[in-house]
Amino acid sequence: MNEIKSLEHATLKVPYEVFNKRYRNAQRVLDVEARQVTSSVSDIDAATKKGATTGEIDSLLGGMVEKLTTMKRKASEAITEEVQAACVCKKRLEHLKEQAEALTEPTAPQAKTQMNAWRGVRLDRMLVDYFLRNGYYDSATKLADKRDLRDLTNVDIYAAAAEVETELSARRTARCLQWCADNRSKLRKLNSTMEFKIRIQEFIELVREDRRLEAVRYAKKHFSTYEDGQLDDIQHCMGMLAFPKDTEVEPYRSLLGGWRWGALVAQFRWEHARLLHPARLPALPVALQLGLAALNTPQCYSETTQVSACPACQPPLNALARLLPHAHCSHSRLVCRISRLPLNEHNQPMVLPNGQVYGEKALKDMMKEHGSIICPKTKEVFCMKRVEKVYVM
Amino acid sequence: MDSCLGVEQDLDKATSKFTALNEHTNKILEEVINQVEELRKEISQQPPNTPLSQSQTKVVNDLASSVKQSVFQLSTDHRELHATVSRVGKSIDRHFIADYAAVAPKAESFCSDTNRPIMEQAIAQHLYRQDLEDVGDSLVGEARVGVSERGSTFAQLQRCAAALALADPAPALAWAAARAHDLAHSPLLFTLHRMQMMKLAREEGISAAIAYARAHLAPHVARHERALRACMGVLVWCTRAAPPAPPPPDYAHLLDLRALGAEAGEQFLREACSLLRLAPHSPLAGAVLAGARVLPALHDIRAKMSHPHVLAAWADDELPLEVELGEEGGGYHSVFACPILRQQASDHNPPMRLLCGHVISRDALNKLAAGLKLKCPYCPMEQSPSEARQIYFS
Repeated sequence: MNEIKSLEHATLKVPYEVFNKRYRNAQRVLDVEARQVTSSVSDIDAATKKGATTGEIDSLLGGMVEKLTTMKRKASEAITEEVQAACVCKKRLEHLKEQAEALTEPTAPQAKTQMNAWRGVRLDRMLVDYFLRNGYYDSATKLADKRDLRDLTNVDIYAAAAEVETELSARRTARCLQWCADNRSKLRKLNSTMEFKIRIQEFIELVREDRRLEAVRYAKKHFSTYEDGQLDDIQHCMGMLAFPKDTEVEPYRSLLGGWRWGALVAQFRWEHARLLHPARLPALPVALQLGLAALNTPQCYSETTQVSACPACQPPLNALARLLPHAHCSHSRLVCRISRLPLNEHNQPMVLPNGQVYGEKALKDMMKEHGSIICPKTKEVFCMKRVEKVYVM
Repeated sequence: MDSCLGVEQDLDKATSKFTALNEHTNKILEEVINQVEELRKEISQQPPNTPLSQSQTKVVNDLASSVKQSVFQLSTDHRELHATVSRVGKSIDRHFIADYAAVAPKAESFCSDTNRPIMEQAIAQHLYRQDLEDVGDSLVGEARVGVSERGSTFAQLQRCAAALALADPAPALAWAAARAHDLAHSPLLFTLHRMQMMKLAREEGISAAIAYARAHLAPHVARHERALRACMGVLVWCTRAAPPAPPPPDYAHLLDLRALGAEAGEQFLREACSLLRLAPHSPLAGAVLAGARVLPALHDIRAKMSHPHVLAAWADDELPLEVELGEEGGGYHSVFACPILRQQASDHNPPMRLLCGHVISRDALNKLAAGLKLKCPYCPMEQSPSEARQIYFS
């Protein structure tokens, strides 16, 4: 198991979903165009049976050529789009391979630099993904452009979603309904209520504008094909017709609340992500949580033992680490508090008479500089003779 | 690597099939169009009002049915690629782990209303430290989080490192030159001057590079003699014309200004941060790095053990395993685990140093002590338990 395998599923799966969608789209285009051509074929058949003149056949054949040309153009466009989507997958794969290559020859002089640069890009990718899934489209685009990550992130895929959200926030539903129609089969598989919720909202808006007759017509058209569990909502809606639009009676008052539009935006964002991403959470919180748990020690919460380099010690993450388990540790792992170097056979742990343990190297450096040892914690002064070795198994 | 190659195979197959299909579709339609056009030409040579002869009707009908057939064949050809497409998806699912969040049950809580702002604050902090001020500003606006440390020292350091990565050592040199005294023991100044020298050699010619080396690299001869020799040797390859022969690998490294700059940038950040006693990573970057390190190990044990008892381990208040975080992360705090009890020491069970220098926890000491005598478990020395002393690792 390695970092790529366990963390990068969505990196490939999301462009694959786009690829798959384009494939289905291209199939539809081909079917439709083929049907168009066949209709002209049957026109010709009918004409020849009737015994048509050359002039008629000529114009019919002309129509067929036109349809064939359209088919050629549209088919070529659709298939090129498919190939492009596959190329996006390929580009990401190449990026993932870069890391794998750096791992295979860790001794090469630049492997470490390369690896660190790759990790920097990974963090940027995670951030862009997190921004997109939370609707911070502006930040996502800016970051992706700044770091030149458009191909490696889903900024372009989410551009359409951003438009739908702006439209919804402006209380316009057309784009969202269009999206629901485009993805109908998939949404039905996921038991999505998105379209139904939008319909209800449109009904409410008609009531708000006091176009109640129209609202009833709207309800006839869209609510008659209701599914399980939607009946209650429909009844509430219809009940609304009896009340004035500034009513204080629940649930009609809350049905008329403006916050419902915000909820629709949130629901759309969630459903959109659900179609694209197999995992419910973006990678960033997952990696962050596990990382904090792995770094978390009891010392992270006392001012005297906090370390500036430790992510779990520093605000604001300190507050999150507090909620997490501590790192498991069955073997001692010691670091010198002065030099931050690990304590081992090359840098023996030494104990001062006051019980404080530091590294041999740091204490020797201190002797060279000051001629005595000042405990950084208690500020007591000792000479080197009274410092003893400690053996930690 | 294997997982990448596995997906790549299927993806390449799909791409080549679609490219071929595109050509095929174009060719077939082209042919069909030509056939129809020819027939049309033939027919239009006759006056428009004559009825079609028997043979002409047959030709027209045959052509019409063949057009119908080939058009449907095209759509069927495309439909048959469905298996190829879905194989790519299945291959991704097989080679990568879809549900990576399953081993981090508490990650969900990070997205709750109370914790999300904390996490986003950390993100904003990271962005500002990376010198991505406008991204940070737009995040602060969109996510409505509190602003933290805009325009910090970190941003300045990042700017220097970013310039280095683009093969421009000037800002980093200015920063380091102002602190030359503190950097006396660090190789940073040498690296930066060498970078500048190589840049001069590539851009202005060898004589400028040599003059620069005389002025700035001479003080570093004592510590970097070998590296300096390589610097001078590589000048042979810095010709305007095509080089006589490809340089040996050590020199090729020096000639690649971008790679050299990336490496120098990294060293610059490391040295500058240690000089200023700052952490080189932002907390967010450090934690995510560690998290990515832990994840594969967790997936591994999860795959190996699916027993209910094992699953319960995730609910416990410790990570279910120990992960070596390596040199670039972790190891910020000393952790003492008693070698006898294999438990982490705590305030109630602190580490005790025996007279012989070996360290065990107080609980272990009490268990091992027999009256007034205690034998060290690691050496033959006998002593009284009261002679053991509590020590402090943090």
